[in-house]
Amino acid sequence: MRKAYLILIASLLASFNVKAAPNPEMILVCYPGGSVNAKDANGAMSSMLRVIERVGQWQQNSFNSLFTAKSDECRKQMAEKNPKFAITSLGLYLELRTSHNLVPVVQPRIKGRTSERYRVMVQKDKYKGLDELKGKTMGGTVLEEPAFVGKIVFAGKYDPATFFVLKSSNQAIRALRALDKGELDAIILNEQQFGGLASLPMKTPLEAIFTSEEIPLMGVVANSATTTAEERARFGKALEVMCTDTEGKKLCELFGVEAFATANAAVFEPMVKLWTEGK
Amino acid sequence: MLVFLVSCAGLQRDYVQFDRLSDCPKQTAAMLAAKQSQLGPLSDTHTLACALTILRDTQDPAVRRTSLGSRVCLHLAEREANQEKREKLAAEGVDFAEDALVQGGDGDGAVHYYLATNLGLAVREHITLAMENLGRLEHEMKRALALSPDIDDGGPLRVLGMLYLKAPAWPNGIGDRDKALELLAKAVKEHPMHPLNHLFYAQALWGEGDEATLVQVKAEFALGKRLLAEGNWGYRKASWKKEFDEFQQEYGEVGPTPQ
Repeated sequence: MRKAYLILIASLLASFNVKAAPNPEMILVCYPGGSVNAKDANGAMSSMLRVIERVGQWQQNSFNSLFTAKSDECRKQMAEKNPKFAITSLGLYLELRTSHNLVPVVQPRIKGRTSERYRVMVQKDKYKGLDELKGKTMGGTVLEEPAFVGKIVFAGKYDPATFFVLKSSNQAIRALRALDKGELDAIILNEQQFGGLASLPMKTPLEAIFTSEEIPLMGVVANSATTTAEERARFGKALEVMCTDTEGKKLCELFGVEAFATANAAVFEPMVKLWTEGK
Repeated sequence: MLVFLVSCAGLQRDYVQFDRLSDCPKQTAAMLAAKQSQLGPLSDTHTLACALTILRDTQDPAVRRTSLGSRVCLHLAEREANQEKREKLAAEGVDFAEDALVQGGDGDGAVHYYLATNLGLAVREHITLAMENLGRLEHEMKRALALSPDIDDGGPLRVLGMLYLKAPAWPNGIGDRDKALELLAKAVKEHPMHPLNHLFYAQALWGEGDEATLVQVKAEFALGKRLLAEGNWGYRKASWKKEFDEFQQEYGEVGPTPQ
């Protein structure tokens, strides 16, 4: 599973969004590369929403969510539903920010950080650098968003779609097993996946031959044309408080999120620049 | 072991009360144990309630170390429509199994199997409870698989397979589609007469999102559905049919049954 905290954020956000709303407000959750199916994800979010509604004394079943693990479906739903708030990957935020007036609202903080690094892993001593991987196979869940990998992770220096032979997968562990067996030449991992390597029994030692710059974690975004600054600030504040609540803390811990931090737009400016200038 | 005994967090601990207990036949726990193979999904609810009432009070260590009490609870819980009562019955089934372990039942795969199935039923509607108990569920079902792989028509294979299919995937959890496919394929191969083995395998194949497996998904689904329709599955039939219907709705297959 990639970035399971996105599901948690969805449940938390929705409860603050639609207080006193006569109809359930749809929160779009885009989770590209995730291995969770929509039914299970919406079920999990529903369970969490009910907890949040009880804790926050909101009317039960005031909120709902729409989940997708497909980037194309996310684009479609964003266009059709035009949600006020959404949970997206950084790549989708960068792509859709202009057309949907998206602004970051909160970021998750995980292990004290609101950013992460991506790494390209190979069997130890097999390759020395990315240049040696030209025409070689690369796997990983992150490859569901090749433009993000090229423009942001590789900072425009490599176009993954033409430089590598991509083997996208929604199962990070399966890609790692393929790398271990030599069926893949390399895989790309996000910070959570890299941090989990120690828990996996591997026959062959692995090493990172590429580590990205710090890349901000993405969380909740809002449509600035359909929400007010006050609403967005309220979201941010509410989410910050959430992980200190007894029940909310339990949920946060389950997903490895320490807290939610109000997003600083300036943090994302270098990413916007890379995206805009990227090849 | 102590770590596991205290790690079933958050389960309900008050028991469901039954009506018409004065109608129950005069019997002892030892008598129930002697005919325990007759207590199952085909038993009527009153018979199981009578049995459970006796088992609650028994001090007979030979009975307490078996899976009987836990199994009776599971059969009652599975057919209970009220969520609160269902969860109480399932939690009681966990208590019975834990007591069986204390009484020396650790080497009995059925004790571990019914502990895990009851625990799963007790927590499945509560995400935090479910997540907290994932490790315990996996541990107990692995023990059941090692000790009694054939119980309940490959139940340990089937349930452990679904656990790996539905749990959050690495690195956030124990979910592992490769393991799920392996276990469920084995369940289908070694216990081909159980409807859920085919349904769960179809779900695992469907989760691959690979069009090449669609024919196999349809075939497994259809075979499972036929087995369900033709078999005598007692009180389990209704809830299993619901599972089939929900999956059918998910994958949108309403066409003819493949041969």
